[in-house]
Amino acid sequence: MLLGWPVVRDVAISFQRLGLAELVQRRTVWIGLENYREVLADPFFWTVVLRTVVFTLVNVALTMVLGLAVALLLAAVSRAVQIALSVALVLAWAVPPISATVIFQWLFDTQFGIVNQALTGLGLDFADHSWFATGISTFGVITALVVWQAIPLVALSLFASTTAVGPEQYEAAAMDGAGPWRRFTAVTWPAIRPMVLVLTFLSVIWDFKVFTQVYGIRQGGPNRETVTMALYAYQQGIGSREFGTAAAISVIMMLMLTAGLAWYARLMVRSAEDEQ
Amino acid sequence: MIRRRGSRTLVNLVGVAVALVMAFPVYWMAATALKPSGDILSSTPHVLPWPVTFEHFQTAVTRPFFVDYLRNSLVVVLAAVVLSILTAALAALAVARLRWRGRRAYLLLIILAQTAPLEALLIPAFLVLRDAGLLNRLPALVLTYFMVTLPFTVWTLRGFVAAIPVELEEAAMTDGCTRLGAFRRVVFPLLAPGLVATSVFAFITAWNEFMFALVIMQEQDKLTLPVWLATFRTAFGTDWGGTMAASTLFTLPVLVFFLLVQRRLVSGMSAGAVKG
Repeated sequence: MLLGWPVVRDVAISFQRLGLAELVQRRTVWIGLENYREVLADPFFWTVVLRTVVFTLVNVALTMVLGLAVALLLAAVSRAVQIALSVALVLAWAVPPISATVIFQWLFDTQFGIVNQALTGLGLDFADHSWFATGISTFGVITALVVWQAIPLVALSLFASTTAVGPEQYEAAAMDGAGPWRRFTAVTWPAIRPMVLVLTFLSVIWDFKVFTQVYGIRQGGPNRETVTMALYAYQQGIGSREFGTAAAISVIMMLMLTAGLAWYARLMVRSAEDEQ
Repeated sequence: MIRRRGSRTLVNLVGVAVALVMAFPVYWMAATALKPSGDILSSTPHVLPWPVTFEHFQTAVTRPFFVDYLRNSLVVVLAAVVLSILTAALAALAVARLRWRGRRAYLLLIILAQTAPLEALLIPAFLVLRDAGLLNRLPALVLTYFMVTLPFTVWTLRGFVAAIPVELEEAAMTDGCTRLGAFRRVVFPLLAPGLVATSVFAFITAWNEFMFALVIMQEQDKLTLPVWLATFRTAFGTDWGGTMAASTLFTLPVLVFFLLVQRRLVSGMSAGAVKG
């Protein structure tokens, strides 16, 4: 219920004209679909939507592929390396997102950042290279940051599911002449597939709505080139005091995620019912 | 299956390399915080923090309002966690032990709420709190964090309750316990580890929360630590030593808690959206 009320308010506001004047006078002006018309007619809005979708796809793909690779690595290394790698993963996972954001700002600092110093040391021309000069490059840093923090959960969960497969199954597969790739597709993959689905789904939601890192790195800059939907709603509402259009953007965001959510909820309820 | 020694060594080397990459940003944060300013702002990187200095930590904690921010964070987070756990324990019992109409729908609602893009509720939450005259007041943030953490505390505790065999309770009731007595003497002691783990998750979520704090608490002495950290660098010029020291201080409690409960985090993962 606590969550339901803001949702209702959000939908209601999206049908109102609610700027600073209306807010101060506490007036309610119903304007129907005007906010949606305005938002949907704004070319910048479509740029932001497209950008958010691409950002989500790239981040989820990288997270899942790298996470799976690390999970398989965890399964292959010796015990000591396995412990070291797990500790490193938990460290990366545990860092609060806002701390991670300031750390990455420092790593990618133009003048004294270790990334530029390391690349220059390798003989590349990265002295005083600014990573935050263009939108694409800034997105690169944000992606590195988001994926770095997302890998541990995926890797550790998938590793946990691979341990459910007994060594005798691999031995049997090897006996039948299966190579490493065949062993992966025939033995490992079926065991981890449900977990991969859940993790992919959660990653889509998390990356689609991510706010802290995107805001923290450059507040959507340079030139609003890294503004995503979550940030756009914030800037429109809290920044420009156009609460009506901001609410409309939020509603569109929620609608975009609802289809996926419904599918995920069905999956979870089913597993909860199975437990009892 | 017998592996060749060479390939095993290679795999281990890759494992160590990945561990180093994953842990490096955290190491670099701590190392920078401990270095003298001259070593931080140098064109050749000093990999080891030697000589060690604690002056950056001193600068960080003696900055104006630090004590207020620390107190704000602690008060808000602890109050929200206590409220959330108490409510969630009752809800979890109801969902896991009692059969009632609408139970399935309730479960569905919890899952939806847990995965819902809270980022989309920023605008209505802001307006509701503003109408209630709660902006810049700690209770507003307590209420928000209660709302943010509740779905997943209910969901996680439900899992813990479901794992306790109902026969134990029935046996206690056969031996003359009332339903409440059975709960107090049998379920509660078994549930204690679950309560601790869930509280820790809730603590981390609320402690890290950035977006709502940014929007709801805007007066200078009303900020919480994450917002302080985000503005630290820009507010005081580029003091990377101070920024990393502040970041280390903010991260440390989370790291400790995280290491304590990370096993449960991984196993209970598919249940929880424990991520910024």
